Amino acid sequence: MTATLAFGRPVLVPLAAREARRLVLNPVFLFAVVTAWTTWTGGGSATPEIDNVNGYPAVFLGGFGMMATYWLTRSMRASEPVAGVTPTTRPTRTAALCWVAIVPFFCGVLTLFGFLHPYPVGDAVYGPFSPSARLAVLVGQIVIPSLGGPLLGVALGRWVRFPGAAFVLFLVIFGWVELVTILTLSHQDSAPVAVLRLFSPFAFFTVQADSGAVTAWRGSPWFFIGWQLALCTIAVLVALLRGAEGRVRSRIIRALAIAGVGAVILLVLAGTGGFTYAVTA
Amino acid sequence: MPTASISLRDVGRTFGATRALAGVGLDLKPGVTGLLGPNGAGKTTLLRLLATALPPSQGQVSVLGLDPQVPAERTGIRRQLGYQPQEVGFPRGFTAFAFVDYIALLKEWTEPAARHAEVRRVLGLVGLSHLGAKRIRAMSGGQRRRVALAQALLGSPPVLILDEPTTGVDPEQRVVLRTVLAEIARTSIVVLSTHQTEDVAALCERVIVLDRGRVRYDGPVTDLTGQAAGRVWLADEPDPAAKVSWRTGTGRYRNIGTSVRDDVEHVEPSLEDAYLLLRGGSPKREAADEVAS
Repeated sequence: MTATLAFGRPVLVPLAAREARRLVLNPVFLFAVVTAWTTWTGGGSATPEIDNVNGYPAVFLGGFGMMATYWLTRSMRASEPVAGVTPTTRPTRTAALCWVAIVPFFCGVLTLFGFLHPYPVGDAVYGPFSPSARLAVLVGQIVIPSLGGPLLGVALGRWVRFPGAAFVLFLVIFGWVELVTILTLSHQDSAPVAVLRLFSPFAFFTVQADSGAVTAWRGSPWFFIGWQLALCTIAVLVALLRGAEGRVRSRIIRALAIAGVGAVILLVLAGTGGFTYAVTA
Repeated sequence: MPTASISLRDVGRTFGATRALAGVGLDLKPGVTGLLGPNGAGKTTLLRLLATALPPSQGQVSVLGLDPQVPAERTGIRRQLGYQPQEVGFPRGFTAFAFVDYIALLKEWTEPAARHAEVRRVLGLVGLSHLGAKRIRAMSGGQRRRVALAQALLGSPPVLILDEPTTGVDPEQRVVLRTVLAEIARTSIVVLSTHQTEDVAALCERVIVLDRGRVRYDGPVTDLTGQAAGRVWLADEPDPAAKVSWRTGTGRYRNIGTSVRDDVEHVEPSLEDAYLLLRGGSPKREAADEVAS
């Protein structure tokens, strides 16, 4: 009985590494990665416009990544009577889970590079966007959802008890994106509809016209990335809020208010910036 | 060096309209303290208060001189605390080693080699060295209890709170666990809640009996047992004068009464006899309480 404790060493990094290992071995996440990579490989020349294919990484890395981190967060809930009385506070454990989102984020980055191989930014499938805007569209559609989905899964896991909550949320977001995309088809030049379309963690930016040309919808892909990052920040803060006490709690609430205001501003800028009407190339 | 201690002053805890604890005052020092009481007496609530899992509704709790109501001090307590709750859920897919290792990490054992050695040590203490690689879900109830106990023993904490640690554990392992706990209690405060009076009799110097959220008895085990001296006897029939009587394996009846009898065949009282006597010989009352709750 001569064991000694190694107090004071930061737990966050080793804990995040441990959780990342658990995520990587999670069957849902493995399925998501494999499927995200297999859905866009091949058939590049047959793609008339980029939005036909670049939703898949968001669905799998973002949507299924959200379900995987939701499971990861909930998995220790049964052990909370033990884990909850350790010196590692719940916000620290939550922070470690949030760091895990780096794994799907890097998968998203790799997917982006993989995507640029068959669909280089000069390709006609991107429509009239400038090369930098094309890159912004891809980052907003592939990389950021790969980060945001898993973060949302952690926040959901910290606050919601219903086991199927992540799947339900995934269906809600998927349905919302489909709905506002259909609405945009009939109101391509409307600013409110553009804001509505971008009021989502994922949005389409192009559509193939009947003539075969690609139309870019109104809205700024750069500000859309800002809006998405604000949503990521909100997800992290909401997750950290669970179990936070005292000064930490009030700081989180203050940061949430700032992030919320920032998100609204960025959403409005995303809807009103960029092309101010639909442009067909 | 000051002696480690826990003190509770007029501590109460309510859950809505239900009063789980009321006016509890205790001072705990190193050694094993047993906590006895019927279901719903407030034992688990008291242990959760001591383990900083629950704040009191009233009164003051101090653990090792630290106030669990203050977040920084609560963390300080948790660094010196081992807690085995009554119910522990285990994450799917975890082996015994992986689970205890995970909790060790949460207990700030960040150095992998030292952590792994400590996990192997505590699994060895509870007799699970050979089952470290076995998935917990595939283990028996008794083995799971021992996994839960193993994580509480990490780092030989100065405060060890155990809620029914021996439930479902086989007799041989119980004896092993008693030895382990007795060794830890040389320097640590061990508080043990159990329904196994023989564990308390074998292990504890002090026993606290809770009933309906209040302390009914607090003192040495021998004193409590001594209160039943002359009040336990054997007879061929149930004695109408007895508060409790039951047929033993020999076919004779063991009777426990409130008054000392001279005209009967006395037997050495056990802690269980004394406990039943203290509670007013109330197996029937306890059953009625459980139905009511």
